[in-house]
Amino acid sequence: MEIQDIISSGLLELYAAGIASESETRQVEEWVTLYPEVATELKEIMIGIESYATANAMVPSPDVKEKIFARINTKESGKVIPIQSAADNEFQQIGNYPYWKMVAAASILLLIGSIALNIFTYNKFSNADQNLLALRETFDSIQGKNLEMEADMTVVHSKYSMPVSLKGLEAAPDAAAKIFWMQNTGEVFIDPSNLPDAPAGKQYQLWAIVDGKPVDAGMILTSKKGDKYRIQKMKTFGKAEAFAVTLEPEKGNPTPQGPMFVMGKM
Amino acid sequence: MEVIQKYDEDELVLLLQRQDQHAFSYLYDNYAPALNGVIFRLVEDKALSEDILQEAFVKIWNNFSSYDPAKGRLFTWMMNLTRNLTIDALRSKGYKKQSKISGDENSVNNLTDAGTGIDKFDAMGIRKQLGNLKPDQQKVIDLAYFGGFTQEEISKEIGIPLGTVKTRMRTAILELRKMLKYT
Repeated sequence: MEIQDIISSGLLELYAAGIASESETRQVEEWVTLYPEVATELKEIMIGIESYATANAMVPSPDVKEKIFARINTKESGKVIPIQSAADNEFQQIGNYPYWKMVAAASILLLIGSIALNIFTYNKFSNADQNLLALRETFDSIQGKNLEMEADMTVVHSKYSMPVSLKGLEAAPDAAAKIFWMQNTGEVFIDPSNLPDAPAGKQYQLWAIVDGKPVDAGMILTSKKGDKYRIQKMKTFGKAEAFAVTLEPEKGNPTPQGPMFVMGKM
Repeated sequence: MEVIQKYDEDELVLLLQRQDQHAFSYLYDNYAPALNGVIFRLVEDKALSEDILQEAFVKIWNNFSSYDPAKGRLFTWMMNLTRNLTIDALRSKGYKKQSKISGDENSVNNLTDAGTGIDKFDAMGIRKQLGNLKPDQQKVIDLAYFGGFTQEEISKEIGIPLGTVKTRMRTAILELRKMLKYT
């Protein structure tokens, strides 16, 4: 059959209109693969019919499209996915995941992200908390020292305080101590910073010389670390001529018996 | 039919094979009115034709892999799918196609009347040109295309020999193509 005969047979038109019989359909499909001119002609015919249908078109209600998309998006299976390359399949499957699966996947991702963030935040919080505790301890100890210092300075600064320097004697020429005697109240404070460390089992004792006789003025704390350097309150005297420190056994003696370390007159 | 993005048919087919929903949306916007018109001509019921249109597009989406571009244009494939679906729907609903065939000349004229729905969509001025088709030409296209009639049924309906359906169809479509060129 000549190409021109095929074209003018009318079979292409029947085929395009979808009313060709089975054998005619097979025949046309064979011609189309054999002769490019026939394929072109068929395409022209189809475009002609297409335009005819377009001319008779009728716009459907807007909700039809919504319904269609709702259906293709909720449909989980039942569609034929052509076997293509693995990459293509993957692409299609992503596009076809049902809505709830996407939501579930997204939720899990969010949850994991949230947990990770929580752990991270908790670690940061713990670190910050520990740092804060350490800082607070440091602050407390500094504040404690500061308070002690302030108490000491109150004694030193008081307008009634009369300082008395106790100079080192034979037993310890380098030793020294300071007495602060409150003229208004008679309170006595001692700053023993420059006394040498008392040996184990011994303790310094302060004496006030009143009317030529030594009177016990109290034990000086040196055993507890830190206390040694602090100004400490001793016994109160209305009057005294001098002050002296001797080294006595712990708990002290009623009268001085040990070596005298420092002494100073009022 | 305003479209933001335009695809040529090859692109459209490729994207639809990959189940691209944007392409499907474009396909719907461009072809749904024409297909709806075809269905309406067969069922003559607006609600029913939209139901069938919905079925048709879901089927087009799900069965797109069975479309072979080598065998014809995309629209032709969709058109045939839609028409078969419509005929099935009519049969299942107890419609009798026989009644239409046995009708007189008027029933055929009804199919070709400007009638319901068509006026809503005046595509590219082709509609005006259709009036220039000879009635027997228009009738053969309508019966085949909008009526879902077989060659034998058309032959009986118009009262022409079976072999003549082919030639009549050819002259009608040639006429149609001629018009398109001058539109």
